[in-house]
Amino acid sequence: MSIPTISRGSMLQEQVPEYFKFVCPPSSGGRNPDPQPPTVFLRRDLLSDFDLRLRDGGRVRMWIIEDPDDKVNGRTFPSAPIRVPLNALVNADVNCKGGTHTIHWHGIEPTPMNDGVGHTSFEVDGHFIYQFQPRHAGTYFYHCHKNTVLHFEMGLYGLLLVDPPKPDGSTVEGPPYPIGKPGFVAAFSPLTDHVVPYDVEAFWVPDSIDSRWHTLNHDAFMQKCDADDPINPSFFSRNGIFNDFRPDIFLLSGLPRRKSDGTPFGAADSPLVAPKLRVGQTLLARTTNADYLIQRFKIGLDAQVIAMDGHALGVPPFEKYSHPIDLPAGTPFTLTSAMRWDLIMRPTKTGVFPVTIEFLNQITGQLLYTARTSVTVTL
Amino acid sequence: MKRREFIKTGLSGLAAIAIGSVSIPKLFRFEAFAAQRSIDLSMDAALVEMVDGSRVFHWLFGSPASGPSFPGPVIFASAGDAITLNLTNRLKETHALRIVGTSIVSPDIPPGQTRSLSFTAPAAGTYLYCDPLPVNRVLGLHGALVVSPVSGSTPYSLPTPAVRLLFEDLKHSDHFPSNRKSAPGWQPDRFRIWLQHQIDPALNARAQAAYLDGRAFTLSAAELTARFLPRYFTINGKSGAFSAHDPSVALDGLIGEPMLVRLLNSGLFTHSNHLHANHYYVLAVNNVVQENVINLDSQILKPLDRVDWLVPFLRPPDIAGDKSIPLRTLIANELGLKISGPNGSPGFPQSPLVYPMHCHMEQSQTAAGGNYPQGSVAHFNFLGDLDGIEFPNTM
Repeated sequence: MSIPTISRGSMLQEQVPEYFKFVCPPSSGGRNPDPQPPTVFLRRDLLSDFDLRLRDGGRVRMWIIEDPDDKVNGRTFPSAPIRVPLNALVNADVNCKGGTHTIHWHGIEPTPMNDGVGHTSFEVDGHFIYQFQPRHAGTYFYHCHKNTVLHFEMGLYGLLLVDPPKPDGSTVEGPPYPIGKPGFVAAFSPLTDHVVPYDVEAFWVPDSIDSRWHTLNHDAFMQKCDADDPINPSFFSRNGIFNDFRPDIFLLSGLPRRKSDGTPFGAADSPLVAPKLRVGQTLLARTTNADYLIQRFKIGLDAQVIAMDGHALGVPPFEKYSHPIDLPAGTPFTLTSAMRWDLIMRPTKTGVFPVTIEFLNQITGQLLYTARTSVTVTL
Repeated sequence: MKRREFIKTGLSGLAAIAIGSVSIPKLFRFEAFAAQRSIDLSMDAALVEMVDGSRVFHWLFGSPASGPSFPGPVIFASAGDAITLNLTNRLKETHALRIVGTSIVSPDIPPGQTRSLSFTAPAAGTYLYCDPLPVNRVLGLHGALVVSPVSGSTPYSLPTPAVRLLFEDLKHSDHFPSNRKSAPGWQPDRFRIWLQHQIDPALNARAQAAYLDGRAFTLSAAELTARFLPRYFTINGKSGAFSAHDPSVALDGLIGEPMLVRLLNSGLFTHSNHLHANHYYVLAVNNVVQENVINLDSQILKPLDRVDWLVPFLRPPDIAGDKSIPLRTLIANELGLKISGPNGSPGFPQSPLVYPMHCHMEQSQTAAGGNYPQGSVAHFNFLGDLDGIEFPNTM
């Protein structure tokens, strides 16, 4: 019986170099092609191995991006947050070892060579000074964008926060504001130039790990490079497992739990995941799905969503088509990979208010794990 | 009513059928066909070549002119159009067609039979038509229905105040400068359809075995979901290098030429679609025109979801330096650069400005378990500056 065949597509002869670049990006480095005088200069090195310690003494190999200028806290998973003032002209000198890598500044929108995607620009061989100037204050993150399915899973990411200016007369330190401490955030507030204060800051960055993936090499399951015939079927790998994500370890802002370990995350783990504040104070919680699962959040306090993906809802001119969203206590909301919601809470009574994050399979919707933390409110 | 039908050229990608006076951009690869009184759609078997050359059995919708296509032909209509589909089932089991999010559904069509479905085109928006049974949809029986409004300057029959304001501002406002060489604001021919799908060849092989034996094949929704492990991820039937470079997938334009993108998920995997270089405005979700038009860089797209984005084609806002300097001056060195390739190849020009859109649930960026980034990916190409002058190397 004859069954017709539909072709996978066609490549014109003049497209051969583009297709080759897509499969096997070129490498480059050095100075930025169009350098501007920076107001913020920072460095990041990648990658190094990092042992993530589990509560039962087990270890998982991660890869991390290091801050070589912070000898105390520069070697962490997730990587040290980058925090810059709004409109800062950032030069980020990225050093790569153990092969080529990139850094993509997720949600920041610079030129392609500063966007850190190999197949639309290049991969960094040696070092490169990325350059960008963030024009929207909010929550972003940075991550390696090479063989991303593996390199992001291995832990090559960190938060990137862009802070608005503080009002005249404020004695708060910054911008950039100290992590976890009082600061200001962009939010709809016409009477205060759309900048509002907060007293306590929390990071809820859930992730999960398939430990089978954590023994692989950088270029695992990549296809072979042939400049003359870049998409020849014989160059594809056939034995990969990157379509099959089976997490067995679940994390909140880098703190791990095995699937069988439902121990809540508490202030002893980190005040950034289990914040404490007083009645009358304001909590800013920054959420980022750094995972390949669906995450369903529930917060036991009334909250307001003030920003999504680094853009403050309702703030003119670009966000005047939206408005902040009230989330009564217990209202679930769902984030998929790379979605980022910033929430403000102003509790009016004391108590320990639960926060749960359910990790759901991206095909079956099956509940795989529930991470539990809390917000503690005192007088 | 005038009806026209078109054929495609035999590749995967979007075939299209138009009803009435709806016009279709030239990017769809098809030719004009004789006017018809109604649309004939068949359900056929075909092998679809994956990005790695493997051939996977599918059940597909097709028109008599195009034959089976993956995905099925896009049906373009205007709100309120009377549409009749004559559906012929050439497969071994009973099939049907429904339009997700509406009550429109055909009678069951036994093998070898033809049934008709007449309906009135619903409110303007993006719709998924498919076989109502999940396994049948996942095996390929799906396509997009795009309904245009009869009047107005937005994609909707009844735009919300926020959507209306956005489209007014795209025409004339300081924060959305229009390209000097283009008509101001969003133009109705500036759109793309991204129908995302996932393929598990093991499932399709079971359907193929039954087909070759002359047997019906079916699977319950629960069994399907429990066993589904996709190995290929497509946009408009293509993956990786083929989807990224497909003119009906890639977002092409000059700075200041906004574009509408209609996304649909016909599979079982939840996507999280991340656009580089511009945040996009979410206009409609599952045919609900949004009252709160949020501006995102990553968004969930669940199975059966339909979402419309407005991509403003702003000069990427976070490029370092003085925003009043024309971009081609500010980044002249990057635009003029060729990064050397291997073994004396002529090098890779960094112009025009190319960015990706990809799903951030990164399993979807693979094919056959690896081969990053040969999955659900598109390109976003800025071809020229706000004054209409093209960047070097723009074709």
